[in-house]
Amino acid sequence: MGSLQLRHVDAGSCNGCEIEIASVFGPVYDAERFGTRLVASPRHADGVLVTGPVTRNMAVPLKKTVEATPQPRVVIAVGDCAHDCGVFRGGYGVVGSVNDVVPVDVSIPGCPPHPTAIIEALRGITRR
Amino acid sequence: MTAGVLVVAGALLGLGGAIAGALLPKGWRVRAATALIWAACGCEAAAAIHVLAIDRPIVLRSTELLPFTGVTLVLNSLGAFFVLLVVMVAVPATLYGIGYASHGLDTRTAACVFPLFVTTLLLVPTAGSVATFMALWELMALTSLLLVLVDHSASEASRSAGTWYAVLTHVGAATILVAFLILAAHSGGQTFAAIAVHARHLASGVRALVFMLALVGFGSKAGAVPFHVWLPKAHPEAPSPVSALMSGAMVALGVYGIVLVGDDLLGGGPVWWWLVVLVLGGASALFGSLHAASSTDLKRLLAYSTTDNIGLVLLAVGAAGLYDATRHPLLAALSLVSALVLLFNHAAFKGALFLSAGSVQVATGSRDLDRLGGLLRRMPQTGALFLVAAAAISALPPLNGFIGEWLLFQSLLHGAVIGSTAADIAIPLAVAALALTAGLTVVAFVKAVGIGFLGRPRSESADEATEVPRTMRLAVGLLVAVCVVLGVAPTLIFPAVERAVKTALPGLGTRILAHGVDLQVVGLRGMLAPAALAGSLAGAVVGIMVLRRALSRQPTPRVVEAWGCGRQLQTARMQYTATSFAEPVQRVFDDVLRPVQDLDVTHVAESRYVIESVTFANTVDDAIERSLYTPVIRAVRRWGQVARRLQPGSVHRYLAYGLGALVILLVAVAVMG
Ligand code: SF4
Repeated sequence: MGSLQLRHVDAGSCNGCEIEIASVFGPVYDAERFGTRLVASPRHADGVLVTGPVTRNMAVPLKKTVEATPQPRVVIAVGDCAHDCGVFRGGYGVVGSVNDVVPVDVSIPGCPPHPTAIIEALRGITRR
Repeated sequence: MTAGVLVVAGALLGLGGAIAGALLPKGWRVRAATALIWAACGCEAAAAIHVLAIDRPIVLRSTELLPFTGVTLVLNSLGAFFVLLVVMVAVPATLYGIGYASHGLDTRTAACVFPLFVTTLLLVPTAGSVATFMALWELMALTSLLLVLVDHSASEASRSAGTWYAVLTHVGAATILVAFLILAAHSGGQTFAAIAVHARHLASGVRALVFMLALVGFGSKAGAVPFHVWLPKAHPEAPSPVSALMSGAMVALGVYGIVLVGDDLLGGGPVWWWLVVLVLGGASALFGSLHAASSTDLKRLLAYSTTDNIGLVLLAVGAAGLYDATRHPLLAALSLVSALVLLFNHAAFKGALFLSAGSVQVATGSRDLDRLGGLLRRMPQTGALFLVAAAAISALPPLNGFIGEWLLFQSLLHGAVIGSTAADIAIPLAVAALALTAGLTVVAFVKAVGIGFLGRPRSESADEATEVPRTMRLAVGLLVAVCVVLGVAPTLIFPAVERAVKTALPGLGTRILAHGVDLQVVGLRGMLAPAALAGSLAGAVVGIMVLRRALSRQPTPRVVEAWGCGRQLQTARMQYTATSFAEPVQRVFDDVLRPVQDLDVTHVAESRYVIESVTFANTVDDAIERSLYTPVIRAVRRWGQVARRLQPGSVHRYLAYGLGALVILLVAVAVMG
C-alpha cells in the first residue's frame, strides 16, 4: 500500500490511547517515516483510527465518519477498549466495542498500547 | 406611408388590448389582451425595422387628438432601436403573463392596464413633440404605478413602494417637463425637430440647466444613484412580468431620454456635463452592484443589479459625450454603441432573471434566498435558464453580457488619447469602476444561483416546489435564447445599433464596426471573434467530458450524505446562507453599506450563564435613502404639520383669510395702479 492517511475518531476513550497516538506521530517515533499521516477529514483519508469504547453519543458520528471515508478503507481499533470495551465494559453509556458498530480490520491490544505496537500495526498495513 | 400606418395600427391594437382586458370575462381577458398586444408589438417592430432599413424617419401628425398641441409621432432610427428593445422584452413578458395571470394579473384593472403599459412603452420612443412625449411618458408612469400596486391589499410594503415610486417618478416628470418647456419656449415650437434646430444656439447656462434637469428626470426613471431608491422597493412588489418590463424596457427609456436631450436635441455639450453623467454612472454601478451582492431578497437583488447595469450604460453614455465634446467622433460612436448594446443585453437577461424569479416565487411562495435552495433539482428547466441568464449578466463568454462589457472596455481603454486633464482622471477611474462592478456582479449572481438553486431546500415550500407551467418556461427561454444568440453572433444587431448611433451623433461618415462574423472596431485596434470563442469553449467542454469518460476507471459512485463532522443532527439550515455568503463583502464595504446588526441574547431566569435563545438580525438598508431622503421626508412632514395649523376647520378663520386676501389685493392694486 505504501501510504496511509488516517482520520482519528475518539469514540469515548479515557485519552490514554490519544497520548500514545500523539507520541507515535511525535518526533521520537515519527510514524510519518513509514507513510502514515493524520488528516483532518475522512474525505482525505483512507483509514479511520478509533480509540475507546463506543459511547452512545459517538455511535452515529463513528458510523458517519467511516461511511464518509472513500473505499478501499481500513478501520483500526486502538487499545483494549476499542477491541472489547476494556475496563469500561458494561458501563451505562457504552454501546459496545468498535466492531459492534463498524467492521474492524486491524485491532491493536494494550491499555494503552505502546507506541511501538501501534507503529508495528501501521507498518503492517503500509508494508514499509 | 405604409410604415406610418403600422405605427398607428400598433397603437390602436394596443388600445384594443386594454379594452379587451377591461370588458371580456375572466377566462378570456388575459389571452385576448395578450394576442392584441402581440399584434401591436408586431406592427411596431415592423415599422421600426422599416425605419432602420431605409434610415429615414417616419413623421405622423394629427391636430385632433390632443387639444391645443396635437400629436406628433416621429420614429427615427434611435427610437426604432428602442422600439425593438421594448418588443424583445414585451413579447416574452406578456407570454409569461398568461401563466402568471392568476397571481394578480387577471383582475379587470390589471388586464386593462397591462396592455396600456406595454403600448406606452412602445410609443414613447416614437414621440416627436414635447406634448406627445410628456403625455405618453406620464401614461407610462401611471400605468406602471397601477401595476406595482396590483397587490396593494396584500401588504403594507407594496403601498409604501407605490408611494416611493409615485413621488420619485413625478418629481422626475416635473423636471423633464420644465426642461422641455424651457427648450420649447426658446424654440418657437414644441416639436423635437424645431427644438433641435434652435437648442444649439441657446445661451450655455440655459443649455446646462436644461441638460441637468433632464438628467435628474430621466435619471430617476433609469434608476441611477441617487434616484434609484424606488427600484428596490417597487420591483419586489410588482408582478414579475411587470418587473421584467419595468427593469428591462422602461428603465432603458430613461437612458433614451438622456441621449435624446443630450445628443439629439442639444447636440452635445461641454466636457463637464458628461463628467457628471460619468460620475453618476460610476456611482450607480458601484452602489448597485454592492447592494446586489449583499441583498438576500431575490427580486431586490435584481433591482439593485438594474441600478448597477444602468450605471454601466451611463458610463458609456458619459464617455460618448466626453469623446464627442473633445472631437473624437469615432470613440464617441463606439461608446454610444456599447451603451445601446449594453441596454439591449440588459433587457434580455434582466427580463429572463425577473421572470424566473417570478417562477420561483410562484413555485415556493418566497423570494427570500435564505428560505430557498435545491431548486435546480426540483425545477430543472427554470433553474437552468436562470443559470444561463446569471452567467450572461456576469459577463461570461460566450454570452451577450460579455460583448457589451468588452465594447465598453474598448471605448474606455482607447480613451487615453483625449488629452484633457479631467478626462484623463475620469476615464481610468471609470475603467476601475467597471472592473470592480464586474467582480461584484459575479458575487451577487453566484449567491443567487448557489444559494437559491443548489444545496438543499431551506424550507418546506422550497422542498415541495414543482416546475411552473410551460408558457412561463417558454417565455424565459425566449429571452435566454436572445442572450445566447447575441453572445455568439452579436453582429446581428449591429446594423441597427449603428444606424441608431448615427442618428444621435450625426456627422459620422464611416462605419464604426465591421459587420462580419467577427467584431472589429474600425480605426482602432480591437477585435473579438465571438463565434470562434463560443466554438472553442464548447469544444473544450466537450473535450474534457470525453477525456474524463475515457480516462476514468472509477466504479459506480457511492452517494453519501455531505460531510458535516459526523454531527448527528444535520439540517438544511446548517448550509451556507445568502446572508453568510454576503458577509465578507458586507464587512469589506462596511462604510458604504452600513449594515445594522442586532444580537439579542436571552438568558434563563436561574443563571446568566445558560442561554435560552439568541436572535440575530442583519439588515442592510439603503444608506442613500437613509441619509438623503429621510431628512427630506421629515422636513416635508413638518411643513405639512405647520400648514395644517392654517386650516383648523373654523369657518370664521377662512372668512378672515378671504377678507385679508381681498384687502392685500386692493392695496396692491391701489399702490401699483
Ligand atoms: S485502552 Fe486503556 S488507555 Fe486506551 S482508552 Fe481504554 S482505558 Fe484508556
